Amino acid sequence: MTGKLNVMLTTLLVGCALSVVNARYQRNHLVNDLEKLASQQRQLDIDWAQLQLDQSTLGKNERIEQIARTELNMAPLSPARTQYLTEGEK
Amino acid sequence: MKAGANGSRVAAGKGVAFSKSPVLAVRLPDWRSRVVLFVLFAAFAALAGRALWVQAMDNQFLQKKGASRYMRTEELPATRGKIFDRNGMVLASSLPVKSVSAFTEDIKGTPPEKLRELARLLDMPEADLLKKLASNRSYVYLKRQVEMDVVARIEKLDIDGIDTRKEYKRFYPQGEVMAHIVGFTNVEDVGQEAIELAQQKALAGQPGSRRVIKDRLGRIVEDVGMQREPHDGKDLTLSVDSKLQYIAFNSVKEAVDKFHAKAGAAVVLDVHTGEVLALANWPTYDPNNRAHLTGEQLRNRVITDTFEPGSTLKPFTVALAMDKGLVKPSTLFDTGGGRYSTGGHIIRDTHAHGVIDVSTIIQKSSNIGTTKISEMLSAQEMWEMFTKVGFGQAPRYGFPGAVAGRVRPYKSWRTVAKANMSFGQGISMSLLQLAHAWLIFARDGDIIPLSFQKVTEKPVGQQVISAKTAAQMRTMVESVVGPGGTASQAQVAGYRAGGKTGTAQKVIDGRYSQTHYVGSFAGMVPMSNPRFLIAVMIDDPTGPIHTGGGVAAPTFAALAANALRAANVPPDSTVTDIIIPEHPFEESN
Repeated sequence: MTGKLNVMLTTLLVGCALSVVNARYQRNHLVNDLEKLASQQRQLDIDWAQLQLDQSTLGKNERIEQIARTELNMAPLSPARTQYLTEGEK
Repeated sequence: MKAGANGSRVAAGKGVAFSKSPVLAVRLPDWRSRVVLFVLFAAFAALAGRALWVQAMDNQFLQKKGASRYMRTEELPATRGKIFDRNGMVLASSLPVKSVSAFTEDIKGTPPEKLRELARLLDMPEADLLKKLASNRSYVYLKRQVEMDVVARIEKLDIDGIDTRKEYKRFYPQGEVMAHIVGFTNVEDVGQEAIELAQQKALAGQPGSRRVIKDRLGRIVEDVGMQREPHDGKDLTLSVDSKLQYIAFNSVKEAVDKFHAKAGAAVVLDVHTGEVLALANWPTYDPNNRAHLTGEQLRNRVITDTFEPGSTLKPFTVALAMDKGLVKPSTLFDTGGGRYSTGGHIIRDTHAHGVIDVSTIIQKSSNIGTTKISEMLSAQEMWEMFTKVGFGQAPRYGFPGAVAGRVRPYKSWRTVAKANMSFGQGISMSLLQLAHAWLIFARDGDIIPLSFQKVTEKPVGQQVISAKTAAQMRTMVESVVGPGGTASQAQVAGYRAGGKTGTAQKVIDGRYSQTHYVGSFAGMVPMSNPRFLIAVMIDDPTGPIHTGGGVAAPTFAALAANALRAANVPPDSTVTDIIIPEHPFEESN
């Protein structure tokens, strides 16, 4: 009886030990993945900042006005040439 | 010696075997074995004790030694917060760059063509590079804040002794247009001017570090824990509107050019929230390229320069008298022939206006009329009014370098000083203070705090004059802009505008200059429901025109027209063609 119990406990012990090894291995992989994603996130943050900067640089009023005036031949509108419509009026 | 008969050799010849010789049977004393046993036992005990000590009692040292073999401290970078305008447009943002430096000893054997290529990539003359490398220090910075793509190409050159370190560079996409609001940071990412300086604490990031375990391939396999928590800087959303800012900036720039002025400045406030929507200066600078920066360019004239506002201050004196019930808009005053003597000094008007009412005093900007109204007020009452609207008070805008201006204590006012102050002489303030104070007319007589950051809650105002007085004053300042007023050039097509001009002589070497002026204008649009409060200052116009009505009023009109259009404010006037009188009425000072 004791012999049987001992064999069972030993098997259980070895099983536990192996599962600990496995769990550590899994963890190492997951941590590594997490780190990769974190660094990817940092890179994306930088890209986002870069894109925001580009948007602001390209959307500069000065540049828009320049292009509108020279390339598109646009002119600012004046109230004299504007027909104003009021909602609900006939 | 002879051999034995049987031919065998026996030791000693007595028949006793060698190994059994009693002579060799040494008797050892008992204590010796015990000593050996004890010594061995003690040695093992010492080993066990030491093991116990090292393993259990004093295990820090060895654990530390062990950890250093596989644990690494990793820097966790923190970026400086971004600055946005009210519509979410980026005004300042940090990107990672690298500094390039060299260990002078290690770089010595580099072939010259590689160094030439390095100099080209670093955008510096080769001679300068060689001079830096010849330095007797062992480590020299070659260039700070080099952009990443350049760094990648430098690293490809594979020069021994080149070292790159990560740092941040601040970019200002709006450049010179926003320079005086946003400011800039130095090479260490520390704010130096304007909002970057004022909000340094909030914007600055706090880099952290953590302990990690790396495997033999350098991959992180365990995060042991934080040493220092990293904190990114906070993002800031300013009250400024890039579109309005651009309009204000352009108007000021054009005006300075057109009137041959030394400098110009404008500020646009939101009447409902007290937000600073635009703050423009000319001359200015490009915060991205600060190689040749002068004090003139850096000066934020709206906030740090004081000037004597002149007639733009008259409405405060008149409003105070109306609020006290001393005069009504229709009360008549005799301004005589344009000369009036008080306290031994002569006050002049440019024209003889004769008997006019209070509204006309404002419309024609009569010094004598304002002086006569101020005679009904006590010095203390006037001083209290000026103090309530913030003149001479240390401003709390949260902006570095903001000046308080100067209002002398009322006890020291002499008769002529009081008269002068009633029309804005002998009292000084910044343009922003003037604009701020004007809010009482644009609003219903209350003053609200100014803000450089976006306001989300309705500000709480402090009543200075009654709503009725404010409304009466609005009618008066609208007449200033109409035909017959001093600021007919401030008319805005399609909108009703109102404001007051001011021309002040500059104080040079303690005297009023006869040739150097500051032309100013403070006004609001649209009058049916004021939305923007705009103040303009043109410093030292040297062309033929130098009055506030001539230089600042048209600048105001251009600014207001574009700002209203940009903000989609519906027009409140049917007048679409502005007719400016051929000889606009000139104010007296």
